[in-house]
Amino acid sequence: MGLVGYAGGMADREREEQDQYGRVSRRRLLRLWGPAALTGAALAGAGLLLHDRPGRHRASEQRAIRLPDWRINTAGSGKIAIASGRGPARNLGRALAAFGGISSFIRPGERVLLKPNCAWDRRPEQAANTDPLLIGELVRLCFAEAGAAAVVVADNSCHDPERVLKRSGIGAAAAAAGARVVHQGSTGTVTADLGGSLLGCWQVLQPFAEVDRVINLPVVKHHSLALATLGMKNWIGALVGQRRTLHQHLELVVAELAAAFRPTLTVVDATRVLTGGGPTGGALDLVKPVDQIAVTTDPVAAEAWGASLLGLGPSELPHLDLAASHGLGSCTWQTMAVVA
Amino acid sequence: MARRLRLLCQTTSFVVFALLFAGLTEPDLAGELASLLMALDPLTALGTALADWTMPRWTWLGLVVATATALLGRFFCGWLCPLGSLQHLVSWLSGPERRARADRNRYRRWFATKYLVLAVLLTWAAMGGEHIGWLDPLPLLQRACATGLRPLWHKGQIPSGWLSVLLLLVILLLSAWMPRLFCRAVCPLGALLGLLARLAPLRIRRSTETCCDCHHCLIACQGADEPLGRHRVSECHVCLNCTAVCTEHGIGYGLPHSQPLAAPALDVGRRRLLLTVVSTAAVAPVLRLTGGGFAARAHDTVRPPGALDEPAFLARCITCGACIAACPPGALVPDLGRSGIEGLLTPVLVARRGWCEPSCTRCGEVCPTAAIRELNPEDKQAIGGPAAVRIGTAFLDHGRCLPWAMQRPCIVCEEMCPTSPKAIQLELVKLPGPDGRPVTLQQPHLDPELCTGCGLCENRCPVGARAAIRVSSVGESRDPANTMLYRAPVGR
Repeated sequence: MGLVGYAGGMADREREEQDQYGRVSRRRLLRLWGPAALTGAALAGAGLLLHDRPGRHRASEQRAIRLPDWRINTAGSGKIAIASGRGPARNLGRALAAFGGISSFIRPGERVLLKPNCAWDRRPEQAANTDPLLIGELVRLCFAEAGAAAVVVADNSCHDPERVLKRSGIGAAAAAAGARVVHQGSTGTVTADLGGSLLGCWQVLQPFAEVDRVINLPVVKHHSLALATLGMKNWIGALVGQRRTLHQHLELVVAELAAAFRPTLTVVDATRVLTGGGPTGGALDLVKPVDQIAVTTDPVAAEAWGASLLGLGPSELPHLDLAASHGLGSCTWQTMAVVA
Repeated sequence: MARRLRLLCQTTSFVVFALLFAGLTEPDLAGELASLLMALDPLTALGTALADWTMPRWTWLGLVVATATALLGRFFCGWLCPLGSLQHLVSWLSGPERRARADRNRYRRWFATKYLVLAVLLTWAAMGGEHIGWLDPLPLLQRACATGLRPLWHKGQIPSGWLSVLLLLVILLLSAWMPRLFCRAVCPLGALLGLLARLAPLRIRRSTETCCDCHHCLIACQGADEPLGRHRVSECHVCLNCTAVCTEHGIGYGLPHSQPLAAPALDVGRRRLLLTVVSTAAVAPVLRLTGGGFAARAHDTVRPPGALDEPAFLARCITCGACIAACPPGALVPDLGRSGIEGLLTPVLVARRGWCEPSCTRCGEVCPTAAIRELNPEDKQAIGGPAAVRIGTAFLDHGRCLPWAMQRPCIVCEEMCPTSPKAIQLELVKLPGPDGRPVTLQQPHLDPELCTGCGLCENRCPVGARAAIRVSSVGESRDPANTMLYRAPVGR
């Protein structure tokens, strides 16, 4: 009975909204139909807005950039300077001197990226990565002689990047000279259209899109599939993604990479040469101390010179023939050689 | 009279459900028609809107039902829902005697649990995991039928079907104890419609003058919504039982001329609701990071052709079982664990049960949320070259294959391979046979470039237990990262 009374009490209040003929007031009409009408309108709006949209999990179409051409047309083409016998730092200095120094390639205030081979968890004497002293010296020269605004050392390593940077000595050497060291875990990527018939759009380490000059710093190594891994194959370290399927078309891929990445300079590290078991190496008896550095603007010549240190001629490396035939440079390094 | 109309409507709606379910297996019935009931479900629309920011195909129809609920109350629960009708039937068949019914149909505060269930499911959907289908009555019932009923007349038992069937049986058993307990206390769709029903101008209204307090309405009430006291509009199923049994004609359905509009507040505290939402929002990413979420997919799970890539697929699949019912060779089964917790009950292809028929695109036709896209049959057929749509790659097991390991001829896989040129090629070799005499054998080799992963080879391989040629998801076209072959970019 209490419930009925309660309901009755409420009804008395509501009756105020009716006139003496029992017609319902406008206010009550609004309260009756308003919420439902509003909800219907909101639902209709949502339906119109969302009907058959592709959905938020649709992969975002990132605009692909084309990589800049980092070459300088004026400085020292047609020459490969080879320095020997004084250790990587002094060899580098003498080889660069043959071109008039690093400032022939890098102007004050420019941002420089060094791309070494820094992919393997190995110590410097195992010759799987570029020599840290070479990298340290080059960074120092970029700042001290060329007046670069910033130097980045970047690679997408195969082994754990922090371990690689530490055990190869490259992390410490580069940082001590003032460079910023990045790897695939510490920097983002950009989508780059690499333009080949096999290579399409790939994710590339972000610094490549943010610098003015790029210097390729490969080490001379045997490679179980490619026979030799030198400067052209070094560009795989710029890519981020499903690289492990590239081996199925390796020669063409490496040649197309050389066409997509046009560095200012190639500095080939032959301080120690890994003659077998590459690209990872390990055993010290596979390492041959050669103590040479070559500097050139011609990536094909650099490749051919490095291959000669492994006892391989240009005809034995299919990607070299392909690159030369696409006009990327000259295989006959002997005619271009300058002893520094 | 209105009550008889409601009974007729319930029966008709259930028959329609049964017919449409049977229609799923009928290849000529339009896919949209077969999955119409899923499209009418407002939670399908809401779930996909939250999880993937879209209302694909015909799911907008659910908004019509939602709007109608905001006008008429939870008529869907009382008049249309096939699971509700089933429960109603069970409770009628097994109901207690009249005196106990009053207690059975009394409102209880823990009926508000369904609002928390809804909150959990919607929060998870907002984070990209559409699991509304686990408890939404329409997908639940259809899934139980697809995995429990259909195997009775087609292709034998589905190993992972027991979970869906068990869930249905538990719900029906509960209804025998307390009528429509699932609808009152658990159903997320009921909760959503209940929230909308609070806005409805048309509702049960009681005339306080003529009421004689006989409690007949309370005994007959299906929704346990206190027709005698302050009527809980959000619980009322609009079954109109009360209007039929009231001897004084004191209860009717219509505009409340002289009655209060405000229904009692829901029995869900604000703090409890907030805690539920926050803990769901915290648990979902933790699940994903620790192997429960959609990143945990074992790479042996093969999805139907036309399935979106995994995050998008899991944001749209409402586990309604339509594709499982519709697949003519019966190749699809609900997954139990291999695609993580968030993949529970989603469809995976088991080649040993059935293969993906090359010219069939039925799963994509019946999927209500386009979690499986509708394809052109030519896209998946690999006639004259590789197929644009692949679901995986077959791998030969040289240790089990008859010509490779047992020096016996076979070639069933090559014979069955539907691609042209065939993805399985035979190499003629001469080997010592089992008795030492030389035999000439044809050994199969698989070309992964041409293989579509259809599974016909695995399905027909005579080696039992584990077939000597097995499909895994490597090479599926929906996920470019899941590849072993280098595939050049399209258009070069």
